[in-house]
Amino acid sequence: MPTQNPSDDRIALLQGTLDLLILRTLVFGPCHGQGVARSIQRQSEEVLFVDHGSLYLALQRLEDKKWIRARWGTSENNRRARFYELTPKGRAQLDEKTSQWNRLTEAMGRILNAAGPQNEEV
Amino acid sequence: MFRRHRSEDDFAAEIRSHLEHEADDLRQEGIASDEAPFRARRTFGNVRAAQESFYLRGRWSWLDRLLRDLRFGLRSMRQSPGFTITAVLTLALGIGANTAVFSVMNAVLLRSLPVADPQRVVYLNTSGQPDGAGTIDTNETFSYAVYTALRPPNGALSDLMAVGLLSGDKIGIRIGSVPEQAEADMVSGNFFSGLGVHILRGRGFDEQDESTSASVLVLSYDYWSSRFGRDPSVLGSTIDVKGVPFTVTGIAAQGFEGVEPTHSTDFWIPLQNRPEFNVLGNPPEKGKLYQADPTWWCLRLIGRLAPGVTRAQALARLQPIFEHASRTGLGNPMPGERPLVLSFFDPKNFAGYDQMYGKPLHMLMAMVGLVLLIALTNLIMLLMARNTARQREFSLRLALGARPAELLRQLLTESVLLVLLGGALAWAFAVLSTRVLARWALIESSLAPDRTVLLFTCGILALSALVLGIAPFRTAISGGAELALKTSAATAHTDHGKSRLSKAIVALQMALCVVLLVGAGLLTRTLLNLRNINLGMNPTGVVVFNLNPPSVPHTQPQLSHFYDGLEARLRTLPGVESTAVSSTRLGSWWSNNSDVMVDGKHGETPDGKTILVRMNDIGPNFFHTLQIPILLGREFNAADGASGHHVAIVSQLFADTFFPHQNPLGHQVNGFTIIGVVANHKYRSMNEDPIPMAWWDYAQGPGEGEMTVEMRVRGADPLSILPSVQKVVAQLDPNAPLIQPMLQLQQFETTISQQLLFARLAEFFGLLAVVLIATGLYGTLSYRVNRRTAEIGVRMAIGARRGQVLWMILRDSLILTAVGVVLGLPLAFLTGRALATSLYGVHPLDPLTYALSIVGVALVALAAGALPALRAASIDPLQALRTE
Repeated sequence: MPTQNPSDDRIALLQGTLDLLILRTLVFGPCHGQGVARSIQRQSEEVLFVDHGSLYLALQRLEDKKWIRARWGTSENNRRARFYELTPKGRAQLDEKTSQWNRLTEAMGRILNAAGPQNEEV
Repeated sequence: MFRRHRSEDDFAAEIRSHLEHEADDLRQEGIASDEAPFRARRTFGNVRAAQESFYLRGRWSWLDRLLRDLRFGLRSMRQSPGFTITAVLTLALGIGANTAVFSVMNAVLLRSLPVADPQRVVYLNTSGQPDGAGTIDTNETFSYAVYTALRPPNGALSDLMAVGLLSGDKIGIRIGSVPEQAEADMVSGNFFSGLGVHILRGRGFDEQDESTSASVLVLSYDYWSSRFGRDPSVLGSTIDVKGVPFTVTGIAAQGFEGVEPTHSTDFWIPLQNRPEFNVLGNPPEKGKLYQADPTWWCLRLIGRLAPGVTRAQALARLQPIFEHASRTGLGNPMPGERPLVLSFFDPKNFAGYDQMYGKPLHMLMAMVGLVLLIALTNLIMLLMARNTARQREFSLRLALGARPAELLRQLLTESVLLVLLGGALAWAFAVLSTRVLARWALIESSLAPDRTVLLFTCGILALSALVLGIAPFRTAISGGAELALKTSAATAHTDHGKSRLSKAIVALQMALCVVLLVGAGLLTRTLLNLRNINLGMNPTGVVVFNLNPPSVPHTQPQLSHFYDGLEARLRTLPGVESTAVSSTRLGSWWSNNSDVMVDGKHGETPDGKTILVRMNDIGPNFFHTLQIPILLGREFNAADGASGHHVAIVSQLFADTFFPHQNPLGHQVNGFTIIGVVANHKYRSMNEDPIPMAWWDYAQGPGEGEMTVEMRVRGADPLSILPSVQKVVAQLDPNAPLIQPMLQLQQFETTISQQLLFARLAEFFGLLAVVLIATGLYGTLSYRVNRRTAEIGVRMAIGARRGQVLWMILRDSLILTAVGVVLGLPLAFLTGRALATSLYGVHPLDPLTYALSIVGVALVALAAGALPALRAASIDPLQALRTE
């Protein structure tokens, strides 16, 4: 496992969010694993940290669920790579998970950002 | 979850590709070109851990371990095919023999009738019949009067079913245009409903069918399958039974084969009250059919206990009714005649056959149990030998960190694999062999293994797997991890305890071998004796069949006319030397016995006991056809029948009994004049003692329904004449099939079929045991020689001669044999004593059998020891020492 420096301000991903991020990344077209990892890190402006081992297991999990499919091809730097793309089923899942996520973050935000007294009751 | 789409290699390749891409990107970001790959790797983290997670993803780890164990087991089995084949075959034979015998035992002794709630069903049994009553079976058949008396609601039985035999064997039927034979019973209207036998299609019978003697018919499932190919359109079609058309109205559920032990019934009809269907096809007695005749006890009765009533309560309620009914129409009992007693017995598939088959089957079961014991000990020794050879492997695995529990798991997996393979083969073997057994024993009912047998077999399999997995475990781990570090093959076999154990097992096997050989030997002698019984005739080349022509009235002289015409035609067929007819077939267990009047006096012994005489109605040329010597006078001829002069023929024993030192010719039997005396011969069965016999001319009798025709035919295959015989019969009566056509010798052999079967099986299992012991001994000895290669090499290097080595090895096995024989002889004596009732013409302590058995065991030991001994003697000392 990659050891994380405690002073590292990157955030390890919450359970279950990696799947959603992968699906989202693949909306823009087929991509190989390393591309997906880079893309997530870049798009989150280096805030999110993707554990590569977990990434590949997640990819395999999504493939097993038939949300994405994979085939070997040649990358832009002329190397063999395994390219992943969304299936229709995966696209539908992405929509559903995205709306779920939005509702969750909204709710979380409401609670976490609300002012004072109720907090003590909880 | 079980099917992985992606290999681990593919996953590894993807990770490699990732690292390369990452390195490329890093280079573009300005990282030094040789530094980039390391950086890529570092960012990735633990590649191995990812790969392991991929591997374990979605698996059940225990299943994975099991699969790995199985794969490993299969691999190690493949590596030693000789061992695997021997082990699997040994198991298949050992377990198969047990399964086969147990399924026979299950069918004959344990299995209940396939009816609803069989514990509530009872067969009625009587202590006998009133004096003067005729019967089919002294204990199992009742009069119609008893049936009607016990039938109304009486608080004891909720249903009483009656079964009447239509014939002693099969009856003639016609489906379409060609006559054929079938096995049929007539039964009461509540037969199916009372027994709780499901009717698969159509309907069963009801009370009205019985009271109106309805012409309806229910097929058994097996008959429907075999004769009609399960064609549903057979419902509503017509079958001619004894010339009377019946409509098929139902098909009974699968598995129900009727209530006649060892027979499977083809179809049932309701009880009939008309002359064609008198029980056994007999002519009416004094104008009365079975329903009107209280002196004919001919119906089998089956009851279903009323709810909540115990057997004892039911018997208590039925006994007085029965006692009263048994006297119906018979007047007062004779002085000293005891009242009859009713009892019940279980509705076993083979009701009443416990006596006949029980003891032999238990003996056989013990025998195959011994065979299995031998097989298992063989396998244990084999496994121990093999695992000693694998000790280095086990030690290495222990040294690499395997726990003993894991080794045990591996050993158990391997033994389960062996046992499963062996078990599958065993099941196939059992299914096949029960079919063969049923044919040998002339049992029509299914002996095939059922669920009970499957359970039994699975039990044996589980036990075997456990024994075979655990037994070699000690050997496997005894080396310990440190053995892996040692190099000499000699270090492993210093354990004397172990070799003493294997010696003990070999001696035990030898003892068992003696027991089995003695048993098999005694029974083989019995078989030979039975085979060589002098029948007092020449049955070879005699073809017999029964006829019951529906078109011929059962009265004289029409019957004589029919058979005279038939015989005349049959004699014109090529190959037919002579023909005859008789009312009872020889060797069919049936006989007509009665006391007789000799010269007007009751025939009795000097001390006043009635002498029973066997009687048969026969036509001319009977003795000539069977080649039974005529000692005095002549046999019947065509002139006797018409002359009206009543004549009889008697056997030599009859003459010696009633007319010692006199010329019997001219004396009277039942008012018939004796015109001839014939030599004693076998009549009912092959192994009976002779009793006095008398023959009447059938042309002078009342006329019998069914007659047996005997024909002496030339040629290698006398039975090949049957098609032309059928044609001749069809010209006279198109509705008359040939019933039970066979060779007279075959007919006689049916009477010893049980002994023949038992003897053949015992022979087979004896042989099997010998083969198993020989292979086991061979395996053990050659293994011991292998382990002593170095020692033998040393001995020969310092001057031992080949002969000495040979003797050293052989002496080993001969000593074990001697110990085994000494142990086995007392056991063999006991076995012989237990077998005594099954033996014929051989003493249980027959010295020849014992001597031959001992020689047999010694030969087995020599043969098994010779090869390893010769191999030991031919060891090249240099070679042997070099292997160290």
